Amino acid sequence: MKGAWSDIKEWIHETALVFRREFSLIFHDPGVMLFFFALPLVYPIVYAAIYNPEVTRDMPVAVVDNSRTAESREFIRHADATSAMKICGYASDLKEAQRWWEEKKCYAVIEIPADYARQLGRGEQGVVQFYSDVSLLLRYRTFLESLTELQMATDTQLREKAMNTLGVTSMGSGSSVQTEAFFLGDPQQGFASFILPGIVVLILQQSMLLGITMLCGTSAERRRRNGGVDPLEIAASPSAAVIGRTLCYVAIYMPLTIYILHYIPYWFSFPHIGNILDYFLFMLPLLIASALLGQTLRFMVSERESAFIVVVFTSVAFLFLSGLTWPRYAMQPFWQWLGDIVPATWGIEGFIRINNNGAPLALEARPYHWLWGLSVAYLVTAYLVTRYKTRRG
Amino acid sequence: MQTTGFWTVVKREVKRLTSRPIYLVGMIVVPVVMSFFFVSLLGEGLPEKVPAAIVDLDHSQTSRQLVRSLNAMELIDITQSENSYNDAIKAVQRGEVFGFFVIPENFERDAVGGRGPTLTFYSNLTFYVPGTLVFKGFKTLAVTTSGRIVQTDLVSKGAPQQLAETVLQPMTVQNHPLHNPWLNYSYYLTTSFLPGLLELMIFLMTVYAVTHELKTRSSIEWLRAGGGDIWTAILGKLAPQTLIFTVIGFGMNALMFGWHHFPMNGSMGWLLAGMFLFVIACQSFALFVCEILPNMRLALSTCSLTGILAFSIAAFSFPVQAMYGGIGIFSYILPVRWYFLIYIDQALNGIPLFYSRFYYIALLVFPILAMLAAPLLRRAARKPVYVP
Repeated sequence: MKGAWSDIKEWIHETALVFRREFSLIFHDPGVMLFFFALPLVYPIVYAAIYNPEVTRDMPVAVVDNSRTAESREFIRHADATSAMKICGYASDLKEAQRWWEEKKCYAVIEIPADYARQLGRGEQGVVQFYSDVSLLLRYRTFLESLTELQMATDTQLREKAMNTLGVTSMGSGSSVQTEAFFLGDPQQGFASFILPGIVVLILQQSMLLGITMLCGTSAERRRRNGGVDPLEIAASPSAAVIGRTLCYVAIYMPLTIYILHYIPYWFSFPHIGNILDYFLFMLPLLIASALLGQTLRFMVSERESAFIVVVFTSVAFLFLSGLTWPRYAMQPFWQWLGDIVPATWGIEGFIRINNNGAPLALEARPYHWLWGLSVAYLVTAYLVTRYKTRRG
Repeated sequence: MQTTGFWTVVKREVKRLTSRPIYLVGMIVVPVVMSFFFVSLLGEGLPEKVPAAIVDLDHSQTSRQLVRSLNAMELIDITQSENSYNDAIKAVQRGEVFGFFVIPENFERDAVGGRGPTLTFYSNLTFYVPGTLVFKGFKTLAVTTSGRIVQTDLVSKGAPQQLAETVLQPMTVQNHPLHNPWLNYSYYLTTSFLPGLLELMIFLMTVYAVTHELKTRSSIEWLRAGGGDIWTAILGKLAPQTLIFTVIGFGMNALMFGWHHFPMNGSMGWLLAGMFLFVIACQSFALFVCEILPNMRLALSTCSLTGILAFSIAAFSFPVQAMYGGIGIFSYILPVRWYFLIYIDQALNGIPLFYSRFYYIALLVFPILAMLAAPLLRRAARKPVYVP
């Protein structure tokens, strides 16, 4: 009984020593400090600065007006007044407009047919053509939205006129069925408000992975130089080493998490309606799982700088696997499965729903359980990898 | 006597590249795996059947018909029916659905009676693509439903059928999305992110190969193999990588435009020419960073930073014109921005080469700058210092 107790005390002592040593290793390594501190501190601000304009406005549009009537001019005036479009000039025909498009003077062309006003007057349908560049989807989407509004407004106006001529008075615009659309999570439909909350979670995980793999690579180099022994490593049992390091990384990331999840959305006025306790509790297993995943990956790095080549590109892969840009339900089972074992996938999913949709933690049970499950799984793998490395000396 | 010159450096470099697995991983495995990753992940190009919910508070014949029409839509998959707005919001918060459609109480009665009921729909934009698609589907249905009711009303009031139709929509806009009428997302994401990834890996591997000479102090021997001439040494060292990355880049294009039939409305030749210049420009960018910062870790950090930021700042999704001027300008220091513009002009839109001339020239500026700054690297190579 006494033996067991002293074993436990010994183990706690070892863990504490590893914890302290890891701290000193980190703070004496400018390369790791860059990953652990500079990256989470600066990257969110850089991303916010890039996407902060949120929407794209007043994109140049050329007009080919073959009708040249009061009606066509009115339509063009209204088009110019939409937030998406800015009429950049009148082209004499489609050929000229096309040349403007090729020269990037405009991103879309409105063509009004010669009989536009006549058709409206006759009670036939007037048809306007809209040619749009689709090299960027956001640009096209913004055009389309303004265009739909424009068409509806013009239709309402024309319809009222027609009703009056027909003598049907009961069908005013107020009495037809109304439609109303609401956007949840990102009511302004801004690009930054959509992408930033997800990206910051990925930054937490990736910066941690980079820092940890660099620490592992450096240790491997020291070991090679010193005949198989890393002089700066505490002689501790593998479990104490894994737990001690994990505690160290999580402790360092606590303040950064508050900064990244609370202050960044707050400063930049991104959607931020979640309960701070909820998302903080939610993030804890993400930090733990990431710290343990990093220690699992140590078998892949034999050199300090390999971290760059092995880890950096995964940010792109993880971003896509997380479902932020491409929904997970549309992925093939294999990719869904691969996404499942990346902590950030669940971290992003849960955090943006807490942060943007105001979901309470209780409703994020699925991602939360997954994160704890991954923590346990990576604890086992990190332990095995560390034990293997320690035995090999 | 030991031979020196371009080919000696090339032979030496090939030996180095084949001696360590990290080169194989960074130059071939990662780009190839990621190419198949993107193409396979985004396979369908349009994530149809977005899970959505319906809140039917009316329970009338009209509302049931509406639900049936929603279910019949390609875009939307009504996975659940909720009893109230609150339940539906919870389903969104749980992530089960990306939006929901509310049919208000007494909808049928009010619609027929001309009291103007309101159909409301909610789309969760925290996930942009499914949120947008669900909005599109809901909107189409809401507008057509509203129109149908007005039309029925008009006809019942004695207006001729055809007239009723035009009165409903006196004017319409026909949309022509040029060259991607399917609005396939994969055509945007794969064609921009793959070159972005290639750029990132070229940056990293070039810096790694060059600064590894400094780290292991083999740079003196490297310079000697080049006959003491830094330009020969650089050209010989980077040539094997140029070849490998160009083959990879061509392979990526073959995968996209050949195998998967992405829109190719211009000439493949000019796109490939652009790819070759792009590879050289990326190598030159990385080389330039090494010349300014002849330190492995700092150079790798700088290149990782720019390589990752490139995905945002090269404006694959959010247009440069909408960014702040002081930030948008950084877009143009990245080779991938120029290659992206070449791709849009020469592959997607297929416009005359004349309009893309400056993009090709811009890619040629990178190697010129890197070669001019080469003497900086010569100094570092003669007295290599490794700072961890």
